[in-house]
Amino acid sequence: MLLSIFSGIEMLFFTLGVISTLGAVGLNKLNKMYQLDWKSWLTLILGVFIIVFAIAWSISSVLEGEPRAASMGMVFFGIPGLVLMLLGRRFVLKCETRTA
Amino acid sequence: MAKEKKEQALEKKEEPNVLSRRNFFKVGAATAAAGAAGAAAMPQKAVAKKLDEEVKKVVVKEEDDFPHEFNENYKPHPSYASVHGHAFFGRALQALGVDVDMEAVEQGDQLLQSINYGHHNDKPGFDQISKAFVGGAWAISNAGGGPMPGAVGDFGLMSWDNNDDKYPLALMDLNYVKKEKAKFESKEQAANTIKRAARLYGADLVGITTQDDRFDYSVQFNPVPPAARKIFPMGPKQLEGMQQMGGEGMKQAMESHTPDKWLHGWEKAGFKPKTVVVLAFEMDYEGMSAASSEISAAAVGEGYSRMTKVAHQLAVFFRQLGYKAIPSGNDTGMSIPYAIKAGLGEGSRMGQLVTYKYGPRVRLAKVYTDFDFVEYDKAKSFGVYEFCKNCKRCADACPGKAIPFEEEPTFEPTHEHKDNAYFNAVGAKKWYLDSKKCFEQWVELGTDCANCITSCPYNKPDFWHHRLVDSINMAMPGPVHSFMREMDKVFGYGNVDDKEALKKFIDPKGKDYDGFGS
Repeated sequence: MLLSIFSGIEMLFFTLGVISTLGAVGLNKLNKMYQLDWKSWLTLILGVFIIVFAIAWSISSVLEGEPRAASMGMVFFGIPGLVLMLLGRRFVLKCETRTA
Repeated sequence: MAKEKKEQALEKKEEPNVLSRRNFFKVGAATAAAGAAGAAAMPQKAVAKKLDEEVKKVVVKEEDDFPHEFNENYKPHPSYASVHGHAFFGRALQALGVDVDMEAVEQGDQLLQSINYGHHNDKPGFDQISKAFVGGAWAISNAGGGPMPGAVGDFGLMSWDNNDDKYPLALMDLNYVKKEKAKFESKEQAANTIKRAARLYGADLVGITTQDDRFDYSVQFNPVPPAARKIFPMGPKQLEGMQQMGGEGMKQAMESHTPDKWLHGWEKAGFKPKTVVVLAFEMDYEGMSAASSEISAAAVGEGYSRMTKVAHQLAVFFRQLGYKAIPSGNDTGMSIPYAIKAGLGEGSRMGQLVTYKYGPRVRLAKVYTDFDFVEYDKAKSFGVYEFCKNCKRCADACPGKAIPFEEEPTFEPTHEHKDNAYFNAVGAKKWYLDSKKCFEQWVELGTDCANCITSCPYNKPDFWHHRLVDSINMAMPGPVHSFMREMDKVFGYGNVDDKEALKKFIDPKGKDYDGFGS
């Protein structure tokens, strides 16, 4: 339905906006729970950015009709993004929690 | 005590290093408002365009001079000095006393036989249906441009005639030079107007440059009798009709075009052009992905038909402005150096023009004119030449090994046929294609190849992520280019002889034929 109103690329960038906002809200929530150090900020922000980039790359590749480029995009950008997020999680867990 | 604790908790909540929910939404709202205000202040779609312009400013560099060197050996060559010239017009060239490559003549006969009659129903991509795609694609070029692909101009829609009045029997005919010359307020306005006209008629890229003797053929070869240039190709009924109307006169007109009249220069046009408008036409991405096959040949042919149509229309546009014009495809001058000079793209290892937007997936046409009150474009570079030094993907993909592997470009050919490279413009610093080997592949295939264009990492659909990669390539040194080439393969781009591409070309998935979406 939506694709008959908006083009695939319009839908993609709208979705990316939603995902980026959710990422920012999540980071904000984490920051309220823990006293995040620079390592946590760096890895988490980089992780979110790379995952958003992987989604953008892969969906763009599907839209242009190159499915292999889409899956490779997930492997080459998505996995490093996930690794960074997991690393960030470990850094976060080492941070002091904020008292309510 | 309880009051103190409550106050402490409140203080904690308002710690400046914590972005509270309220503040977060405040920042978000302010950013959105600023963005919306900025976007609203610009015309529709201007934000994306502005961003694109900013990227281009960083990535694309303007050149003051023509970006390729020439040595003392360089001189313009005749229009027939190509493998196509020898292969398709060899027998006529013999009448002129040219030392003809007879092997190319035989191959040309074989290729034309295959192009005009051949199809193989047991060979995917070469069957009757694929061949029908080719027929439709080339139709306008064949009927309107005739021998133009073989660098023979002044035919049909590509006519050099600049009539001073309409054709008397035509109901509507604006193909004549108006007596009153149109005036423009500024050179910029003139350039914008010409480019807009070219875009209206169907060109995808347009550049304007000065006429340059280095890039025009030293002499133009045209063995087609003038009487046959407007009415060709004739069917049997037409021929019969012509004979009834006075076939003897027609016969005489054909026979009077003796070899001494086959060569000419600008005197034929009655003027020497001052300006060349260079036009580029995108070839269908999915069609070209099916290289080598009749489907990619159809994508090429469609480009040729658009070259013929748009060059003719733009020539008529100039004539209506009150100026003379010559529409041109592969004839009259070399399109690639003109396109480089007009800022449409860069030269490359495979010898094709590589454009910023479509890579090498373009065809080129030109319109020569005596109009010169116009702002000329400058040559531009965006890292293609440097990338080509390390990439060599086209050279790998070439089934005939016609593309050189040397890292640096040279002033002379280095290939197997270098001692008789009648088809190369020797003395220009570039990579020299062995056109004989290239043509042999065409003969073997029975159609044109296009593997080099399809395999090029610059051949991508017009999507943001490819422009991003191109920009990164430009900023990176050579070894990274080799890595990028490998990544291009890993990501599945630039495959040639891919049977899946043939299926994808026909598959309606993702294609919107009826306007209701799929």
